[in-house]
Amino acid sequence: MTGALMYNNLYIYLFVGLFLLCCGILGLIYRRTLIGMLISMELVMNGAGLNFVAFNRFTSPENADGMAFTLFIMGIAAAEAAIALGIIILIFKRFGHIDSHEIKEMKD
Amino acid sequence: MNLPEIIFILIMFVTMISALVTVLSGSVIYAMIGLVATMFGIAGLYVYLNASFLAMMQILIYVGAITILIAFAIMLAGPFYKRPKEWSTTAKLAASFVLSLFSFAVFFKVIMRTPWMNTKAQEFTIATKDIGRLLFDKMTLPFELISLLIVVSIIGAIMLALLSKGEK
Repeated sequence: MTGALMYNNLYIYLFVGLFLLCCGILGLIYRRTLIGMLISMELVMNGAGLNFVAFNRFTSPENADGMAFTLFIMGIAAAEAAIALGIIILIFKRFGHIDSHEIKEMKD
Repeated sequence: MNLPEIIFILIMFVTMISALVTVLSGSVIYAMIGLVATMFGIAGLYVYLNASFLAMMQILIYVGAITILIAFAIMLAGPFYKRPKEWSTTAKLAASFVLSLFSFAVFFKVIMRTPWMNTKAQEFTIATKDIGRLLFDKMTLPFELISLLIVVSIIGAIMLALLSKGEK
């Protein structure tokens, strides 16, 4: 921790990323609507992106690989959201609700 | 404690509290608003990490695009009374808390145990120009594959919509 500045410390950013990951896991299990689960998934992806940028800043400051990977994560998240929302609207048209507990046709 | 540090702590707390709001709030609309606040907080953290281009991209893509998509899905997915309540059984709540706290403990220990090299802050002079050069020099194939992936997902979403129309 040089200069005792708080924002120049790798562990702070790793801690925030870990907190986002745990919030995402909590939401993925706890939420019942499919949209809520999708929102929790976005939290997990953002935690991963924050970790990439923090590692790029602190452990290899001479190249920009981590930032490029965060851009890729954003693109993948956009594609995932588009597909997932199409599926959610299709499920709503067929079943009339988006409760993840009631969609069990393939399980029975 | 100087001003940038106070702002940093503020941004960190906004990020974490709005992440909790996103997960634990009762309605999906509140979860979406919490997601917007979390994205703004992460953009602020990117600014502190000397990645201002990524901060702009974060606001543009997440707040501008993905949240609008989610808002449309919430509006299209029926009225409020048809939606299930978010509170399910207490056992499930306990199970989700136990699992997330367990993973938090495990990863916290991993972070603290691992000896990261050069964790001290150094000179950081990566500009937006370097990211662009990297994307078109070393990572050309992943870059093109990402664009292909987005095209395929858009066509897939349109096909899903057409499929549901053709059935009726």
